Amino acid sequence: MDLLSNLATGFGIALSPYTLMLAVFGCFIGTIIGALPGLGPSNGVAILIPLTFSLGLDATSALVLMTAVYYGAMYGGRISSILLNIPGDEPALMTTLDGYPMAKAGRAGDALIISGFASFTGAFLSTVGLMLLAPLLARIAFQFGPAEYFALYILAFATLGGIASNNQAKAAIASCIGLGIAMIGVDNNSGMPRLTFGNMHLFDGIDFLVAIVGLFAITEVFSFIESHGKNTSIGITLDKLKVPWRDIWNTRWVQLRGSLVGFIAGILPGAGASLGSFLAYMSEKSIAGEKGGFGTGVAKGVAAPEAGNNAAAGGALVPMLTLGVPGSGTTAVLLALLMTLNITPGPTLFTDRPEVVWGLIASLLIANFVLLAMNVPMVKVFVRVLSVPAWVLLPGVTMISFVGIYSLSGSYFDLLLMVAFGVLGWVLRKLDVPTVPIILGILLGGHMEDSLRRAMVLSDGDWTYLFSSKIAIGLWAVAIAGFVAPLFLRKFLKKPQAVSD
Amino acid sequence: MTEFRLKALIAGAIIGLSSSAAMSAECIAPANPGGGWDFTCRQIGKIMHDIGAVDSPIQVTNMAGAGGGLAFTHVVTERNTDADLIVAASSATTTRLAQNAYAGMTADQVRFVGAIGADPGVIVVAANSKYQSLNDLIEDVRANPGQVAFAGGSAVGGFDHIKPLMILQRSGISDVRAIKYIGVDGGADAITQTVGGFTQAMTGDMSEIVGFLKSGDVRALAVLTDERVPGFESIPTAVEQGVDVVAVNWRGLYVPKGVSDDVFNQWAERLQAVADSAEWKEAMAANGLAPFTKVGSNFQNYIDGVVSDIRKLSKEIGVIQ
Amino acid sequence: MVSDRIFGAVVAVVALAYIASANQIQTSFLADPVGPKMFPMMIGAGAFIAGIFVILRPDGDPDWPVLSTIGALLIAVVVLVAYAYALKPFGFILPTAVASAILSYQIFPKIGQAVLVGAGLSIGLFMLFKFALGLGLVAFPSALFG
Repeated sequence: MDLLSNLATGFGIALSPYTLMLAVFGCFIGTIIGALPGLGPSNGVAILIPLTFSLGLDATSALVLMTAVYYGAMYGGRISSILLNIPGDEPALMTTLDGYPMAKAGRAGDALIISGFASFTGAFLSTVGLMLLAPLLARIAFQFGPAEYFALYILAFATLGGIASNNQAKAAIASCIGLGIAMIGVDNNSGMPRLTFGNMHLFDGIDFLVAIVGLFAITEVFSFIESHGKNTSIGITLDKLKVPWRDIWNTRWVQLRGSLVGFIAGILPGAGASLGSFLAYMSEKSIAGEKGGFGTGVAKGVAAPEAGNNAAAGGALVPMLTLGVPGSGTTAVLLALLMTLNITPGPTLFTDRPEVVWGLIASLLIANFVLLAMNVPMVKVFVRVLSVPAWVLLPGVTMISFVGIYSLSGSYFDLLLMVAFGVLGWVLRKLDVPTVPIILGILLGGHMEDSLRRAMVLSDGDWTYLFSSKIAIGLWAVAIAGFVAPLFLRKFLKKPQAVSD
Repeated sequence: MTEFRLKALIAGAIIGLSSSAAMSAECIAPANPGGGWDFTCRQIGKIMHDIGAVDSPIQVTNMAGAGGGLAFTHVVTERNTDADLIVAASSATTTRLAQNAYAGMTADQVRFVGAIGADPGVIVVAANSKYQSLNDLIEDVRANPGQVAFAGGSAVGGFDHIKPLMILQRSGISDVRAIKYIGVDGGADAITQTVGGFTQAMTGDMSEIVGFLKSGDVRALAVLTDERVPGFESIPTAVEQGVDVVAVNWRGLYVPKGVSDDVFNQWAERLQAVADSAEWKEAMAANGLAPFTKVGSNFQNYIDGVVSDIRKLSKEIGVIQ
Repeated sequence: MVSDRIFGAVVAVVALAYIASANQIQTSFLADPVGPKMFPMMIGAGAFIAGIFVILRPDGDPDWPVLSTIGALLIAVVVLVAYAYALKPFGFILPTAVASAILSYQIFPKIGQAVLVGAGLSIGLFMLFKFALGLGLVAFPSALFG
């Protein structure tokens, strides 16, 4: 009953025709920003701030508008992933794996609608989870010390074996490239620069967005110049746009599981939305097995990561609101925004400022439903992108990428790095080396090393500390039993067949 | 009131995003939006305009990189005579200068205008910790140096790390290198690790612990100021517990070295006017800052003193050679 | 086969170089049982082993493009690098028009269309970023993002 009255308070604050209009507007702008490579939720919010001012909004309306932009950007990231094989932002990375093959097969509309639905499921369920359990769930963060986080990252990398179906050594090389890049910059523990070769631009390390846009957008341009447009999604005749109810219904369990996995990953401050979508995809892939056809353009392959990353985005609000710890880059932006509104999240926020919390939750729900309602009409607009001729579209994508990356730091250095990543991506694509592990390595490498070193500081270098808690042991067990062992077992099982060939 | 503040803050932001404001002064925040330096620029810039100390609103530029090093280098090498430029600074700036982390740049290559507020340093433990006072903690460290680990929001050798080391050193514990410290991503994260029992104490700033104090998750053993902080009178200072350590994270500004004395004095006056304004007092209260006003030419002496203290200590503990 | 073997060898050599430069990383005095070197060296070792593995068990060769295509790709790289350098001194519109026209021509070689694309994209995107999204772009020479 408490819950209902709280929720009513929230909607009482956040729902009015005016705020609804703002939500529609915010969702639209957010979706577009999310879809543009290199521009993500943080740009979205930066763009929204002057807008709130010129509209003269009060705190509540500002909150509604900013959550709408935030969720819009989370939804929007998938669009360029599916249509052009270019993730709009890092959590949308995994959606390229099946979304783009679907687009190539003329099912871009289906992929967008299915993933839109899955996004809704993930975001909705995680908002409900946030509503019911936030103060309780916040306690989970207290259970995760350095050893537990290290085990979690090990689990993430263990699942990578399944990403390259034919040659695991190449997936390993790709992860090493990413991890190696993550080591560049000032070392947190000693304060000494590492592998920067004295270059000031490298002191803060290499931004993963530079790598994503380079490895995907710029590589795509090179591939296009090479192939003159054969075997791409552009110019493919699209199926007539219908809502694929069957696929949505068939992926219901995938969406639910993906939401759960994503939500849990989101709650852990060290994991974040990208890990949520990644783990959701990889676990569904291993559940479906070889016959599932993951990676060839199946509905489950777009439903899982989108449910995962949107659920993680909601889950990440749990530690952000209750502990003041932003679980990901995007929640850090929201945290900064709350602080501009003079709201300091922390353990007392739920009791001290219930109107803020429930207003925020109501805003999230509003944004979510608005996005779902806008989804189908907007998909109709977005799939038109594919009918733009390549000689307009690709230069356009390149220039947008340049502006997006340039807006990060205003330095030409990042742009050069991005081009270098583009070249690297093209070579690796030729050699059938997956690029997703590179991004994962860059995203998690620093955290992984930090947690290992923190664990060793606390234990005086005793390695058994890594296996000293139930959670850590559990994560190690899942990593080894679930992902590493099958890799070797598969070989054993396959060998006799190879002989009979 | 909240509404008014929001609008005013956003006014600061819109100006930060547009590059067309030709005549206005610029404040560089050497970090991404949302951090302490960003707060300094936006608040000070906004209040200066509100109270009429400057004619047009101050434009905020975020220049993140190398922990402020990128902005410092930029000011020294490219903007050395720019009279319309102010840069946000804090204890982190002086700590890094002292440890030579800005690629050879030194504190006298810019002019520090002043500080107008400070975030008091604190040492906290989990609510269920066996340590009741700062001395309990110190004695335990003395007995088993390897058993007590600190968590803080800055990297190893950073300001949060130096605070417990100063305390232990002043208490006569010579081998401070044996003290365990892990640097995590911000104060809230450090508290999480401490409440979770992975580390025994947290070192950070007052603003980082306010919510956790209220919720009863943590207990503050000491605040590192001369006197107890208004609003938190129940927390004893380290000084009154017999440990003579004062460490506050001040918030202030520097300007380029090449500006005239007139320009410097003008900025000092404007900053003093901000410090005296009711609006700033309110902003400080909302963000857990304690009054700490040192503006004008004396401030450079304070900075020099702090830099040489930290350099000496950093050498002793081996953060720098 | 050959491509993968070369790739594996390159990876192995780069991994060794990486280990060597990781070994040069300065260590501070402060106690840290792992230190700043070990993790990078572990990564280098992992990459080295994986590289050797690829040499031993290579996949089939990909279809490498013909020489003229590689030339076209090199031109594209040069254009993008030049664009990166030109953006700050020359403002947004001119470099964007030139770079997007060249890329467009490379994809579909018709000069008229390419010029149109260059002009259209540079002005259109400028409008989008500057006015719809409010990014602080500068149209013509001067510093970007004030």
